[in-house]
Amino acid sequence: MNWTNILNFSRGPLLHVAMIIFVAGLSYRLVRVLLLGWARDRAKNKGSKLWGVIVNYLKGLFVLPFIPWVRRTFRHNELTFIAGGLFHLSLFLVLVFGTAHILVWKSLWGFGWKGLPTPILAFFSAAGIISMIVLLINRLTHPVLKMLTRFPVWINWLVVFLPMITGFIMARHLWFRYEVIFSLHLISVSLLLIWVPFGRISHFLFYFFSKTIHGAQAGKRAVTP
Amino acid sequence: MKSQKTQSAINTYLKETGGWVASQLEACTRCGICAEACHFYQALGNPEYAPIWKLEPLRRAYEQRFTVAGKLKLALGLEKKLADSDLEHWSKIVYEACTVCNKCAHVCPMGIQLGPLIHGVRAGMAAAGVVPADLAEATEKQKTVGSPLGVTDEMWRERIDWITDEWEAQIPVDKAGAESLVVFTSIELMKFPDNLAAVARILNRAGENWTVSSTGREVVNFGYFEADEELTRLFMYRVFKAAEELGVKRIIISECGHAYDAFRWAAPNMMKVPKGVEIAHISEYIHQLWKTGRIKLKEGAFDGETITFHDSCKIQRRGGIIKQPRELLRVLAPRSFKEMTPNKEQSLCCGGGGGVISIKEADANRYAVFEMKIEQLQEVQARAVCMVCSNCRLQFVDSVGHFNLPVKVHGLAELVSKALV
Repeated sequence: MNWTNILNFSRGPLLHVAMIIFVAGLSYRLVRVLLLGWARDRAKNKGSKLWGVIVNYLKGLFVLPFIPWVRRTFRHNELTFIAGGLFHLSLFLVLVFGTAHILVWKSLWGFGWKGLPTPILAFFSAAGIISMIVLLINRLTHPVLKMLTRFPVWINWLVVFLPMITGFIMARHLWFRYEVIFSLHLISVSLLLIWVPFGRISHFLFYFFSKTIHGAQAGKRAVTP
Repeated sequence: MKSQKTQSAINTYLKETGGWVASQLEACTRCGICAEACHFYQALGNPEYAPIWKLEPLRRAYEQRFTVAGKLKLALGLEKKLADSDLEHWSKIVYEACTVCNKCAHVCPMGIQLGPLIHGVRAGMAAAGVVPADLAEATEKQKTVGSPLGVTDEMWRERIDWITDEWEAQIPVDKAGAESLVVFTSIELMKFPDNLAAVARILNRAGENWTVSSTGREVVNFGYFEADEELTRLFMYRVFKAAEELGVKRIIISECGHAYDAFRWAAPNMMKVPKGVEIAHISEYIHQLWKTGRIKLKEGAFDGETITFHDSCKIQRRGGIIKQPRELLRVLAPRSFKEMTPNKEQSLCCGGGGGVISIKEADANRYAVFEMKIEQLQEVQARAVCMVCSNCRLQFVDSVGHFNLPVKVHGLAELVSKALV
């Protein structure tokens, strides 16, 4: 078996199966949670739930990632806030505005958009990778994180890290032949997609639940979320 | 080993796990940021005090029953089923190192409501009967005698008479047709009678048609501390029943945070509540009396030494009564009132709430937390501190004595009553 075959396999059947597992698995998880039932809140509101939800999303998406020190606990968690924030920002920029990724979106949805200049992408992908390493070291040494981290959490880290590092190497044309690194990138992406429904990377989905709940809880009590 | 009691805890967890609980448990990324929000973790450094770790029993019960990942972990031996020893272990953590102050929820990047979820963990403990002895004893007293401090009907009546005489404050008892039913805590009755007298004086001055009730006489809810749903309901039912019998329009909760939380936010979702009866906290009601001109206050009555305000988690962060006490304090001490940092929603809990102060074994924990409060007080050089929760006040009075601090501790009603003109 040569690398061309591996590449064909990984961007064909493997990726498709991975995507099916990803979508089906997440849908199952979503439906499972939704079907557990939602009790109506009968307590009379003091403030507006909607206001709370809106403020909470604005803060969560536009304030805290960019000016994290508005949050008073920032000074106890600089590392987690900055490395965690930078990691998510990098991931978003590279996935959405990376030139190669835009082609993938275009093939999926039929339209594309303008990518970011290569130096900026290079900077953020490097920053994302470094952030992940920093977060890993933090997780290995912080007493609370050591206690909280069980086996699946290490897998989470690995399956996110592999696509990032292979993607970085591929985009910079380093060391490997194109078919080799592209195959490795696609295999690692497939691994990620297959793993997501089983682990906590799926938080990107449940984020919208907890974030809405917190906003509504704060809003109904007339406090700032 | 899993016994019947662990099974009842698990059953409670599964029963309370609807989408609300499940979606939040699923949202956690194990980032650990909540640890730094917890005053117990900050003060004592025990990793097990991280709020998210306090949810472990609930998370395990949920995942092992409802999720593929949980079942896999169980099958592969990565995780065990809950056992009696787990309940005993976590009982100490959730009752003695958590005041359910919910600051963690405001810090969690995902916005997970850790406080209410920890309350859920306590519910399983209560169902299994794995509750610290002191807390269980006080709850039992409230169930049988009617007050966690063991105040009997007779003692209550005598005490009310004594306060009426001593402070010359009229306290109407069981007055049918009154508009407001004021329900006090045993803590105020026995330890801060001045607060009770102060509330009476303010309401009388405002010409309020109010009463206390001899049957719905205890506002504290030890069932709610324990998270025993049935007892929580029973203790609130006593008050609601009195309110219905007296035909009042509103129930005014005196200076107790957990009671306000229970009556204002929990009751409508767990029991039948009397229709058209408003729930108000005494601090917001006093503010309203002042705002509508029914009472007048001497401006600057407490100007002089620096006075600060302590935010109670259930009344401010979870109750939304943030502006009102501050507006009053700006009248009472416009020049001397200073804010501690952090404050309001981000405030630091006193360390005694959520039943913690009633557990002797948790004394070291709450004193350690209070040292952080002392730092806050010293930063603004406060000589006096005011609050609107008797539980906080008890913790402050006790700890100020313990650490021998030159700080006076006041209830807001007490200050307002002294400034009445």
